[in-house]
This record gives sequence, structure tokens and C-alpha cells, in this order.
Amino acid sequence: MSVILSMDNVSKVFETEELETHALKAISLTINKGDYVSISGPSGCGKSTLLSIMGLLDVATAGKYFIEGVNVTELSLDQAAEVRNAKIGFIFQSFNLIDELSVFDNVALPLRYHSDKLSNDKIKERVTLCLEQVGLSHRISHKPNQLSGGQQQRVAIARALVAQPAVLLVDEPTGNLDSKAGDQVMDLLESLNKNGTTICMVTHDPRYADMATTKIQLLDGTILKAPLAKMVG
Amino acid sequence: MKLFLYQLKQAYLSLKEKPGFVFSVVSTMGITLGSLLCVLTLAYVMLIKPLPYPDQERLYRVEHQLISNEGLVDGRAFTYPNLMHLYQQQTLFSQSALSYFDADVLTSNANEPMVTISYVTPQWFEIFATKLEKGRAFSSSETLDTYHPVAILSYETWQTEFAGKSNILDEKISFGGNSYRVVGVTAKNNIELPLAGPGFNTQIYVPWDFNPFSEEQRKRWGDDDSGLSFIGKLKAEGSSTPSITQINHQLSTLINDNWQLQVSHQAFFKGWSIKLEASLLQSYLVGDSKRSVLLLIIGALGLVIIACANISNLFVSRTAERQQQLAIHAAIGASKGQLFQTILAEITLIMSLSMIVAQFITFAGFTALNFYLADFLPRVDELALNAFSLSASFSLLLVLTLVFSYLCRNMINYRSLNSTLQSSGKGNGIQVSKRVRNILISSQIATATALIFINILLYTDAIELVDQPLGYETEQTFAAVLAVANIEETARSQKLSELKTQLLSSPKVKAISQGMRPSIFSTRAATLSANNHRYTLSGKDVDHQYFSLINQSIIEGDNFTEADIKDRTNVMVINDVFAKMIAPNGSAIGMKFETGRRVIGVVKSINIPGRNYAEPRFYYPASLARNMLLIKLHPQQSLSRTELVRELKGVSAQLSLFSYSSLTDYKNERLFSSVATAITTVVLAILTLLLSALGLYGILSYASHMRRFEIGTRLAIGAKGKDIIQMALKDNANAIIVGVVLSLLILLGLYFGFNEQLHSYLSTEILPIFISTLSLILLISFFACYLPLRQYINKPAIHSLRGSD
Repeated sequence: MSVILSMDNVSKVFETEELETHALKAISLTINKGDYVSISGPSGCGKSTLLSIMGLLDVATAGKYFIEGVNVTELSLDQAAEVRNAKIGFIFQSFNLIDELSVFDNVALPLRYHSDKLSNDKIKERVTLCLEQVGLSHRISHKPNQLSGGQQQRVAIARALVAQPAVLLVDEPTGNLDSKAGDQVMDLLESLNKNGTTICMVTHDPRYADMATTKIQLLDGTILKAPLAKMVG
Repeated sequence: MKLFLYQLKQAYLSLKEKPGFVFSVVSTMGITLGSLLCVLTLAYVMLIKPLPYPDQERLYRVEHQLISNEGLVDGRAFTYPNLMHLYQQQTLFSQSALSYFDADVLTSNANEPMVTISYVTPQWFEIFATKLEKGRAFSSSETLDTYHPVAILSYETWQTEFAGKSNILDEKISFGGNSYRVVGVTAKNNIELPLAGPGFNTQIYVPWDFNPFSEEQRKRWGDDDSGLSFIGKLKAEGSSTPSITQINHQLSTLINDNWQLQVSHQAFFKGWSIKLEASLLQSYLVGDSKRSVLLLIIGALGLVIIACANISNLFVSRTAERQQQLAIHAAIGASKGQLFQTILAEITLIMSLSMIVAQFITFAGFTALNFYLADFLPRVDELALNAFSLSASFSLLLVLTLVFSYLCRNMINYRSLNSTLQSSGKGNGIQVSKRVRNILISSQIATATALIFINILLYTDAIELVDQPLGYETEQTFAAVLAVANIEETARSQKLSELKTQLLSSPKVKAISQGMRPSIFSTRAATLSANNHRYTLSGKDVDHQYFSLINQSIIEGDNFTEADIKDRTNVMVINDVFAKMIAPNGSAIGMKFETGRRVIGVVKSINIPGRNYAEPRFYYPASLARNMLLIKLHPQQSLSRTELVRELKGVSAQLSLFSYSSLTDYKNERLFSSVATAITTVVLAILTLLLSALGLYGILSYASHMRRFEIGTRLAIGAKGKDIIQMALKDNANAIIVGVVLSLLILLGLYFGFNEQLHSYLSTEILPIFISTLSLILLISFFACYLPLRQYINKPAIHSLRGSD
């Protein structure tokens, strides 16, 4: 089992003039290839912060972080962008598609930032493939605001897959969707994982958390070692 | 109404929290509106405002023209007898007055200052309703041929030359060999009409009888003098005012018929005629200044346009910011009209504050104009915050407030305000549409490029004139004009030679030359013997010391010798321009003119300060009785007017000093308008740059703020800092290019529209100036795109994404 992601005592402190917030305290975890991990916990427990650090969207205050064996704790902004582009596929709660671009261009975007510039044909090939994977190849020329919420999220998933990342990081994927669309998206993620995609997902919905194979519980910035029930008692 | 007052109060409290925003708007609008108002009021005063005299619409100035036998206008000045004939015989004007503008030395004062004098007939004071501080105006006791030696001082003269002493009336003053009794002083706020031109104000008024024309000169029907003026007030005859053509015809006939009789014996005037042209006094006074005023208006308008684009953007961003707040108002029950009033209240408050600041700027502008340009633009002393400026201010305030309010109002879709409350404010909220943003950017760039280009062009032109080498030295050199009228003609040469010897014996004085100063020439005609060709050129009289004193090089032949001056030999020295004209392929030395005058030398041309071309010129020996001296002092020495007067009096009590100035002062005077232009254009260009930089930054900063989630998303996907910058540049490239093209169109439009007026400016290299302007604008645009992005690309991507969920 090869290790995709490994965190060693990672902490995150937010400082303002008046107070210090310890959002994450000494988090250590490992995600292996093919894993389906869910991170859940109450509001304010630090799960989104953890996911952003995992996705190199934010920088840890302390600790070490490795992606596929490479130490990515202290990268420059440009280096972080390169690693993000190659290794991470991010899926946001609010989709974050770019309204002015067509579905095709949205999905192709990561490839345009890729360090190896691919030919237009290659790009077309990859984009078409990923859209087929999420079942939206018939919407290839539409604009995001012509699609339903569920369809937009699936386009976002296609975008996250297009550069063949090492891991998909998913932040509350169903937060802005109705239950039917949400179920569709979750089914998609499950089938992706069955086909070998590594997924790490943040969610507060216990139903969806259960669909993962490994469940991590976060409370006040630390990972709970014992089941929740025992703590309350 | 009560609601509006409440809204005003709320607006005030809300704005208090945003000092930066308020400051930007108020300072930008205050300065630009202030400048515009200043210039508009100037235009109004110069071009529209009636003269501050009773019945000014019936006041005319009559011009006298001598028409040669070829039908060409030979001169535009009165001959003395024609003027008197007009004054005494005309029937068109109910009142008329004569004036002659001159200057002389006030010998009754210890320091013998030179004063300007107007010789006037008594109606002058009636026509202009002159206000008096003390005493009386001229009256029937000063009509023609009464020779009543009285004088009226201007308020300023009374203060400066007589220390404002209270018993000034009946004081005796003297000049030109006559003595006058002061009978009046004009009031401080009296507005004088400088007929001779802006800056030529009268210091002393004296009755017409005493004008310096001798008995004999008063009978010369063919000699004209441009100082003679005629002002008349047209008769108010019921319904029919005669047309200008009729007036001119009647006056011309009156004078011409009589004149023809008077000169019938003079062969020279066969076929000649006299034409009189009357023009409204108001339009005569404005003359050429129209162009300067129009240029200033264009400049000010340009600034206002840029400022408005900036401010629109600021207001629009502010409205987008207040979106949440406005949604709450709507949820509580505010109607569309009431929401509009909320916006209106805030904008009214800010614009009113801006307008108040603008009034101060306008006032400062008036003071500056008065101080610097009173000698160049007519009626500048009438500039004040008046009914016109206030109504212009109010109209601008009204229009701008309404325009900005409607702009903001149109941004709000009342129906969808609701959804703003439910959604977190992202997505379909109020944003500045891409189209509006592009219009703002293009208009900024177009106006800024055009304005900066014009200003750099004008600056380059002006600086060229200021910097050009004169070809002669001005340091430590002074020009003195002496009043010698009281000395008998035969004794003059001797007295002046004595004076020169005395001055040269002083350790301060390095050299003396007797003759006119370098930048003054009179117009002459000379006919070359060889081909009988008649040349019109400039000439002046100088002595043998002249060229060496001012260090003007003799490039061929010889200078005058001392003997040439003493004997007044019939020789001349010419400048290289004239030499090239009369001897294009050889040497001009030895060539003779009809008068027998022979060329003995050629000098390198000098440049008169303020002009960049040299016309053909010649120099001839000055008489030893010439009343003009050039005095060159040794380095670090000085010679005051008082000291010089003492030297004069040492030689003869009848020698007086008329004028005394350094050549550097004269040079600076001539260069003044170029220097003023250079300074004004630099200031305007800098203001334009600052405003447009601020404006572009504001627009693009807002645009990137609106796109921050998109920027964050791209960063999350793997875009680097430079990718984001490239994206921003590409997105705005179109608007910038459109702006540049627009500016080209504007400039071409101006070029074709005002071709004749602009022609003189097009000698300088336009292309390098346009390229440098363009580079400047592109540089600003680049930084305006780049700087707002720094906060997003210099931090981890999560910072741009916060708030997107």
C-alpha cells in the first residue's frame, strides 16, 4: 500500500490582534492509495482548515506534511501551485466553476496550467474522457449557469479528475445540493473510488460520512481517538 | 421631506465610517470642479460679461485705417488732425472721448519714477463712470483748448508714489517740463479700461490739451500714432440702431472727404483713402485671448471627465458594498423610490461637500490668475465669485448628483434584492457589469492619453523657447533710457559723452554702449541699388561698442569704428539672414543701398527671447545724442536706479532717467508666457496622470475584488502568480486598446478641427511625444492591473476563497 498523504504533528494557529485561535493541534494521519477517508465533526472543529492544508491552499504553522513521499511543508507559492496542479484535485462546496467559461473550458483549465504543456488534441481527449466519467459529455458547450446544482458539481468533479491527481480532496460536496442531487454525487464518488481513485472528504452529514471506508472524527482541532459516545459519557 | 432629512443624517453617520472614500471623492471632485469653475468664470468674464460701465452695449472703439493706393491697409492708427476732426464733427455718438497713452518721468518726486500717463478729454470720466476716492473728475473746465494744468492720480499711484498722504489734493506734480495740480484720486475699486492692452494701467490722468504732440505735429495729416484712441457712446435713438456697416460708412465718409481735401497737394497720398471701423469695446478688449481661454477650458473639461469616471467607479463600488444594507431596507419595507432617496442622500452630501471645497479652489485660482496673468489677459481683475460662478456651481452640483445617483440606482434590481439576503451575497449580487467597467477604463485612458499628449507637446514647445540660446549675453547688463527733452539738441551729444566718460570711470562699470538694447528693433525699408529690390526689415542704431558688449559675433567684415560713429558714416552691419537674402552665393560686404549706405560687416543673428526665428536685420551708426545706453557691470557689482540718477544729475540737472532695467529682466518678461505655459502644462499633466492612475487602480481593484473567488479557484487548480497577472492583462487589454484608439481619434479630430490655430505647434516631433505618452499610460495601466492582484497572489490560495462557501 503506497502512502499518498502523510501528516506529522501538523498545527494551525490563526492570529489576530486580539486573540489566537488554535484551529488544528498536532494532527497526524496517513492516507494510502485507494483509500476513501471522511473527516467529520461539529461546526468549527477545524475540518475545512485541515482540508485546505492538505490541498496546499493554506500553510501549516507547525509540523510536517508529505505528498507521495515529498516534503511539501515549506514550498513557495509557485511550487505549491505546481504540486496542487499535478497531485491534488479539489472539489468545493460551492462548485467554484467559472461562469464565463464553457463546461469544456472549465474542465480543461487545470491542464492549461500544467507544467507540461499538452497539445490541444490531448486536452480534448482528457476532457472528453472525464466528462464521460461523470456523465455530462452532452453538456460540453454549456455555461455553468445553464446547469443545475448537481450537474455543476459533477463538472467540478470532472475538473478535479482531468489532471490525474494523486488524491481528490472534497469539501462538503453536497452542502448546496438537494438530497436527490446529493445522492447522485455521492454515488459518483463511490464509483470513482471503486475504480481506484483516492478520496478524502469533509462532511458533516453522518449518512455520507458512513459511505467512506475510513472515518476520522475531529473535535476542537484534534482527532478523536475514541468513539464520540464515550467522550460524552 | 422629513424622511429625506433623516436619510441625510444616516448618510452622514455612515460616511463618517469611511473617511478614505469621502476624502477620495471630495478631493478629486473639489479640485477638478474648482479648476473648471475657475476657467469657466474666466471665460464668462472675458467673453460674455458686459463691461462694468453704464450703457456698455453702446460703447464703441473706432479704428482708423490708412488705405494705400494698392487698396492695402498701410496703418491702423489715427492721424492727429483726423482724430480731432472726428471728435469735433461726428454726429453718431451722444458722447465721445479721446485718450493718448504715454509715459514720462515724474520729476517732482525725489526718486524720479517713470509713470504711465493718459491724456484724456473730460467725457472719459463720464463715459466710464469713474469712481473717485477724493476730489473731482475733469469737467467743462478741462475741455479742449482750456489748457487747465490739473491731474488725477490713480489710487495705486497715490499710495505708492505719494505714501497715501491725506492732503494730496492741490499737491503739485511735474513731468515733461510741465507742472500740474492734483484735483482728484480714483477709487481703489475703480475698474480701469486698459485700452493699450492688459497690464497697461494709467497712473496719472491729465487733460487732452497737454498731450506731447507739438503744434506742428498736430497738423500732420499723414503721420499716424497708435496711442491715439477714440471711444464713443452711440446715440440711443428710439427703435433704430444703425448697423455696423452704416456706422462705418458714415464715419469713413466724414473723415475721408475732409482728409482728401487736406492732402490733395501731397503726391504721395494720391489714390490713398481713410477708412474708419467701429467695433464694440467689449469685443475689442478680448482680442486674441479667446484662444488661450478655450485651451484652458479644454484642459479643465478633460480633468473633469477623468474625475467623473473615477468617481462613478467609486460610487458604484460603494453601492455594491451597501448591497446587503439596502436589501435589509427593502425587506423592512422601503419602496423603490425610498431606496433611491437613500442613495441620493449620501451622494448629495458628498457632492455638496465637494462643491464647497471647489469654491475655495476656484477662489485660489482667481488669486493665482490675477497675480500671474493680469498683464496678459484682459479683465482678469473682474474675476470674483459672482452670480455666474455660483449658478454654474449649482447647476454642476445638481447635474452630477443626479447623474451619479441614477447610475447607482440602475445597478440595483429591486426585485432580486431579496435573494441577496438569502444567499451569502456571492454570485448574482450587484456587480459592475463588464461593459460599464470597460467603458470606464476606455474613457479614462482616452482622455488621459489625449490630455497628456497635448500637455507634453505644449510643454516641449514652450521649453524650447525658454532654453534656446540667445546668441548674446545678458548678465550684468542694464538698459537705460534717458529723458533728454529738456536739454537743447545741440548740447545733447556733449552731455551724453560726458555721462559715458563719468560712468566708465567708475570701478563698477566694465563697458558702455550708446544705442538701442538687443531685443528691440524698428521696422525699416531699404532698397538695394544693384537690383532695385525693396526689402522690409528690422533695424536699429548702435555704436561701435555694441557687439562686443553683448558678445555678438562678427562673422565677416568689420565692426563700426569710433570714427564711423563720430562722423555718422553711411555704413551698415547686417545679420547673416539678411546677408543670405541679398548675396546668396557670395559675400554681401560692399553691397550698397539706394540711400548710399554700404555693408561693411555681417554678424551672427541673435534670437529675441520668446521667438525661435531671426528675421533679416541691419544695424547703423547711432547718433552721439542717442538717449539710450547699455551699461555692463563687472561681476558681482550692482548699480541701483538711485545711484544712476545721481550720476546723471552729476552731469546735468536736466538729465532724467526714463527707464532702467536689466537685460535679464527684459528677457524674463518676454519669456514669461512660455514659462507660464511650461508650468501650467506640467501641472496639468501631473494632475491628469495622478487622477487617471488613481481611477484605473480603483476600477481594476474593484474588478479583481469581484473576481476573487475565481482567482482563488484558479490558484487552487494550480495557477501561479504570473498566470493570474497574465489573465488580468489579457482581460483588460481590449479596453485599453480601445482607449488608445479613441485618444488618437480625439487628437486627430482636434488637429483637423483647429488646424490653423494648432499649426505652429506641429513643428516639434510629434511621434516621439506620442510614443512617450503611450508608454506612460501603458505603464500606469500595467500597474493598475497588477497592484490589486498582489493581495491574492502573494498569500496562500485559501485567502481568496474565504467566504465563498
